[in-house]
Amino acid sequence: MSEPFSYPDDREEASAAQVRALEALLIEKGVITSTTVDKVLGYFESEMTPLNGQKIVARAWVDPEFARLLTSDTPTAIAQLDLPEGMTGAEGEHIAAVANEPGVHNIVICTLCSCFPWPVLGLPPYWYKDPVFRARAAREPRAVLTELGVPLSEDTEVRVWDSSGHSRWFVVPTRPAGTEGWTEGQLAELVTTESMIGVALAKQPSAT
Amino acid sequence: MRTKLQHALGGLEGLAGWPLPGDERVFAEEWETRIFGLHVAMMGLSDSLRDAVVGYDLDAVPSAFRTTWTWADLRKGAESMNPFDYFRLRYYEKWLGGISAYLLENGYVTQAELDAATGHYREHPHEALPDRADDAVDQQVIRYLRQGDSPRRGPATPSFAVGDRVQVANPPPAAHTRLPGYLRGRTGQIERVFEGNYRYACSTGSDGLGEPMPVYLVRFEPREIWGEMAETGAGSLYAELYQTYLSHVAPATTPVEDRSR
Repeated sequence: MSEPFSYPDDREEASAAQVRALEALLIEKGVITSTTVDKVLGYFESEMTPLNGQKIVARAWVDPEFARLLTSDTPTAIAQLDLPEGMTGAEGEHIAAVANEPGVHNIVICTLCSCFPWPVLGLPPYWYKDPVFRARAAREPRAVLTELGVPLSEDTEVRVWDSSGHSRWFVVPTRPAGTEGWTEGQLAELVTTESMIGVALAKQPSAT
Repeated sequence: MRTKLQHALGGLEGLAGWPLPGDERVFAEEWETRIFGLHVAMMGLSDSLRDAVVGYDLDAVPSAFRTTWTWADLRKGAESMNPFDYFRLRYYEKWLGGISAYLLENGYVTQAELDAATGHYREHPHEALPDRADDAVDQQVIRYLRQGDSPRRGPATPSFAVGDRVQVANPPPAAHTRLPGYLRGRTGQIERVFEGNYRYACSTGSDGLGEPMPVYLVRFEPREIWGEMAETGAGSLYAELYQTYLSHVAPATTPVEDRSR
């Protein structure tokens, strides 16, 4: 499909210069420092990444009691794990997990903006923020999931979670077959960001 | 139904021909990382954090930022855009526009300063940023990231209970809302009453948000929302709705007439 809009040739250069100008002016005027933005980015690069969610899901796969607590009282469950300080920080104040199970598939969307559980999943990928995904997943989640490679049978209930309030949802995908006896570290590598939003299943053991 | 495109994106039809976005990147261009960082910095220095439950000592933070900047401000900007621009611009391009407008409106920078500095960095894209160090500013921003700003305030004062049938309001489209447009006027069932009341970061005027109020997890049947456009097969749609958006559905007290006779 052809691009529906046209853009100036200097689209990115103009934005890059404008954001650089804003940052420089805010430093000069004493709003932020020369290192503030770098420190914010470093926080998300090194601490608040999908690795946290992967560890949470892997624990749920090996520990049924933890799995039950994770969906009934998500913050208390997450606090039991050795994760970076800040799991209840920005965009993690009210994190809530929903679990896939036989006959139930969950998918998280945000039709009004791009709410996302930062401490568990890091920052949202571009497709999650895209108006086309947000528009379609609300009304036709099965069609969207099929296009993304997750065809569901008619008797599997699709639960769509539209993040319109304070909760930040994420999905506990189903543990793949053939992973009996795996360590949490091995299992965590099967857990993708997409599977924790609900647009994919966890990776199959053969795929790694 | 009166609504804004940005408020009624869920269920917008005619987009199925578009390829679904497969872009797994968080940032499409390097410059986008900087506008994200500026947004978080402003969130972490926002005057509104004086009311945060966790307690932030903003007076001890030597920053010239003295106004409120929250998600509500960023969202309001995106929701006030022309709908064509909303689709034309990439996610962080909208942020850049909204944050620039806010900084200009609130006097942090002037248009002349911004134009001059933008022109300068256009010519010298790799020139280093000005040098200003102050650990206390950076520490406050990171402290905000680690401790957050929960909107929960006080005990819950719910008007509805689990299992109640509720109808979603249809208020006039405001500058900003947390009511997904496709739910306006629809009927759902209370699935969960959240503990505590929740405020919103700003008043949304006639839309009804602001002061602390109960929030509910409401379950909707896809057929109730989409009618015959609903997909076949089992499904549920859950939304979190503030009490101001809900009213009781009167139970049917009179038997339905049999009109076949």
